[in-house]
Amino acid sequence: MKLPVAVLMSSLLALASLPLLAQDTAKAPAQKPKPILNPAPTTQDWADIAKLPDWSGVWNPKITDQDAQVKTNMPPWKPQFAAKIQKQLEEEKAGRPTPIVVSCLPQGMPAWMLITHNAMEFLFTPGRVTILGESDGNRLRRIYTDGRGHPDDGELTFHGHSTGKWDGDTLVVETVSIRPQTMFAVSEAAGTPNNGDVKVIERMHLAGPDILHDEIEITAPNVLTKPWKTTRIWFRQRARKFDIVEGVCLEGNYSERVNAEGDSVFVEVERHPWGHMIAPKK
Amino acid sequence: MRRSTVIMTLVGGLLALGAGTRLAVAHHSTTMFDHARTMTIKGTVVELRWVNPHVSLLVKGIVGEGKEQEEWLMEMTSPGNLVRAGGWSRNILKTGDEVMVDFSPLRDTTSRGGALKKVTVVKTGQVYTANIRAQEMPGLE
Repeated sequence: MKLPVAVLMSSLLALASLPLLAQDTAKAPAQKPKPILNPAPTTQDWADIAKLPDWSGVWNPKITDQDAQVKTNMPPWKPQFAAKIQKQLEEEKAGRPTPIVVSCLPQGMPAWMLITHNAMEFLFTPGRVTILGESDGNRLRRIYTDGRGHPDDGELTFHGHSTGKWDGDTLVVETVSIRPQTMFAVSEAAGTPNNGDVKVIERMHLAGPDILHDEIEITAPNVLTKPWKTTRIWFRQRARKFDIVEGVCLEGNYSERVNAEGDSVFVEVERHPWGHMIAPKK
Repeated sequence: MRRSTVIMTLVGGLLALGAGTRLAVAHHSTTMFDHARTMTIKGTVVELRWVNPHVSLLVKGIVGEGKEQEEWLMEMTSPGNLVRAGGWSRNILKTGDEVMVDFSPLRDTTSRGGALKKVTVVKTGQVYTANIRAQEMPGLE
């Protein structure tokens, strides 16, 4: 009969597996670690987001304050960097600005928060705060608020690896693993490559109904004598006409033309090494 | 001559005249312009390049008390900033429009370039500023 054979077979199989189990327990070989998963958000996760402060809308940087802080709040550079920055400021004043951010690579951290002239917006989703910038298709910061730490062998990136947590209505962010080539810039013509090992701590919070402060502390042991603090100011627009529009940095290198075949094409234009367009000669 | 042919010739001319190198461009300081001086050009729009990171405007006209028609290339901030600071859009200036432009000229006086401060569309009288530092407040309409 089939059934008893089946029962017998399964019993045999069960018995056969017992020694293996016993072996496993006895030897305890290393188990392959389970991969960490990012869990699907729950209804509660989304409900919790509704309790966060309202950082919706478009945020513009206060450029006049950036300008002022070049004079009033210069970072404590190591002597060789202080000398370089001083020379850059003199060259800029003489009308020969040093083109420190003229490549269209992302300015990255900390330069984005320090010297951008362009808008940004925040997205709140479960486990994350994402900051999107303007005038560079690839300006984006991911701040993980799901309790994770920084990876052990963190890959170096333009914007670094950011973790954050809410302290009341203040988002406290820690960023590490920034590429050493990104500029530690105090203006568009004064700064130095950060040269690595940078840590940025930020406390972001509203300072008024439509004012946001980013209190930044930068530890940059290869260019600073000690950590440097600055508060950067942003103000909010809600009018739809100010919604951030796609802005591609490299599009400034091209003009829209129609070629001989009638196709719409981009034609490269020429620029001066300082970054401005070549003007007609007299 | 077709307009596009004229423009292609113009671009070719600019490329031939230029002394710089082919370079990827992004944000730059504007101190190559003499911000202590203001000049005015009255003429017509040749081309508005509504691009990031810096919008540019090519104008053909008479500068100050001059007699000859000259072509001058103006630079400004990014499209998004112009929209916020001065109510610009890509449609406010079309080729052939009569304009009056106030600008700070390049320090290199061998070149006809400037940082645009404001432009007046003669037909409507509408003035558009490019000064993003003058409107640093929330809740702009």
